[in-house]
Amino acid sequence: MSMHLPVLIFAFPFFTAVAMPLVGLRKRAWCRPLTLIALSAMSLLALLLLATVVEDGPIRYAFGGWAPPLGIEWVADGLSSLMMVAVSLIALLAVVYGDSPLMQGPLARKTALYYTLVLLMVSGLTGIVLTADLFNLFVFLELASLSAYALVGVAGGHASLAAFRYLILGTIGASLYLLGVSFVYAATGTLNMADAAQRLPALLASPVVLWGSVLIMVGLAIKMALVPLHGWLPDAYTHAPDAVSSLIAPLMTKVSLYALVRVAYWVFGPETMTAQIPVLPVLIWIGAGAAVVGACLALIQGHLKRMFAYGGIAHIGLSVLGIGLGNRTGFAGGVFYLITDAVMQAGLFFVAAAASSMHGVRELGELERLRGRMPWVLAALVVIALSMIGFPPTGGFFGKWYLVLGALERQHYLAVAAIIGSTVLTLAYFFRIFEKVYLGRTPVSARSPEALPWSMRLGLAVVTLALLILGFGSDWLIALIQTTAVPKGL
Amino acid sequence: MTETLLGQGNFFAFIFLFLWGLLIMLSHHNLIKKLMGMYLVQTSVILFFVSLSAKRGGTVAILLPDVTRPEAYTNPLPPALMLTAIVVGVATLGVSLALAVRLYRQFGTLEEGEIFRRIG
Repeated sequence: MSMHLPVLIFAFPFFTAVAMPLVGLRKRAWCRPLTLIALSAMSLLALLLLATVVEDGPIRYAFGGWAPPLGIEWVADGLSSLMMVAVSLIALLAVVYGDSPLMQGPLARKTALYYTLVLLMVSGLTGIVLTADLFNLFVFLELASLSAYALVGVAGGHASLAAFRYLILGTIGASLYLLGVSFVYAATGTLNMADAAQRLPALLASPVVLWGSVLIMVGLAIKMALVPLHGWLPDAYTHAPDAVSSLIAPLMTKVSLYALVRVAYWVFGPETMTAQIPVLPVLIWIGAGAAVVGACLALIQGHLKRMFAYGGIAHIGLSVLGIGLGNRTGFAGGVFYLITDAVMQAGLFFVAAAASSMHGVRELGELERLRGRMPWVLAALVVIALSMIGFPPTGGFFGKWYLVLGALERQHYLAVAAIIGSTVLTLAYFFRIFEKVYLGRTPVSARSPEALPWSMRLGLAVVTLALLILGFGSDWLIALIQTTAVPKGL
Repeated sequence: MTETLLGQGNFFAFIFLFLWGLLIMLSHHNLIKKLMGMYLVQTSVILFFVSLSAKRGGTVAILLPDVTRPEAYTNPLPPALMLTAIVVGVATLGVSLALAVRLYRQFGTLEEGEIFRRIG
């Protein structure tokens, strides 16, 4: 049973997605419960998978009984099962949160198709997380991305144009990734990650390997919106329907970053990527730049979702910085921050969705209308903001703490400066938000607070709790990452 | 194979098609022309990957009764993989055309600048 867990986790969202259009034809009201059941089952299996992997070690699954170097292999190790838990729980939470107030407008008439795309995207992300095959990774990357383009573009108007640009840039990214894979395949003759990792050390002198690794990294950097390749993200997240942005923002870029970690550390290896092909040292600089530039751009935005989108770009930079440090502390900090950031992004876009769907507040200047009317939402926003800035005892503080420790261990003081600079800028843009909420002109009409549906309250409460749990449980989680999820040679 | 890869004709053909596609995407403001460029970029990568399996004197990787030496066949893996990549490309083109149709119905034009002007 436990041997088949990786593929069972994939089967739940995927087969539900395939069945969804047929169900939606007859019983439209069943779509949402069915999606929630599939994602809950998937989350339970992911937790079971993590427990099994921590207990008994990695699970390798060869599709169709073809032995790994020839056939396609999936591997659930510490990192992928941890990531799987994060992805499935956040997807479940985002779908719970995407209740009726968020499903108004263009989404209301397309319930069945919306849930089909959501489940397809989640199954694509599952494939990216679990696969141990470079070409298989490309296929799932495109499955997830295509669903994301369609979800962003569903609203029409500006959203469709944003989705079109996202599609163009995303396809360039995927093509570059595939090109890199073709180079690696030309050099090694294999697509299996473990097999390629064994063959690569003998081939490092070849320029084909060098260019292959660089093309893969650039392709994935476009997918994760790493500065300066972030052009598609702000428009796509700003104009996407609220239910969609709160689902895509925490998942797509983070899982692309996971794919980069997987290729950099498990295919090429940390030593190669630091010494012979210095991709990781370059990633520290790019990550540091992204953390500062993203936060600066967030500071000058006037649109709430756009500000949060740039905040997400800055935080991806921080995770990349940690990953690039190439030591145990930095790696654990980067992975921890990646998961924390996924929760924070979910929370931020939940808040933006609540503000825009309940009170029509989209711009910073309209925020004063929220004062006293959305106590739940504002309370959640305070905790998320504390975590984004990095105050204890939230997850964001401990993530940054380990990033700084990793940077000091490597004596990379510029990285430390970038983390601190990004923190100050984050403090500044959240100050702008709270200033607008509490110090703006008095609201025009002081109506009684509108009731948020229980599902949305639940979503906000879980995000808030999760950030506190990530903070209080950070020692445990960092230890778990350092014992089970760290690659060989680190 | 690796040392001579960069000096081979297939690589130059690929570079030419790839950069031409990229140029079309960057220089045209018409959405359909952008898609044409995008498709050229995708196809150039697919062609390059397939060309990796080519071999002087090798035949297609379909088992023939009178050819028993494995060296006589080309590598079947790249064409098999690229079949999947072509399917992915078709799906991408489908989604992108659907978005283009959507934009055209709403704004009555496919020029990116014009659409921007109408959004305001």
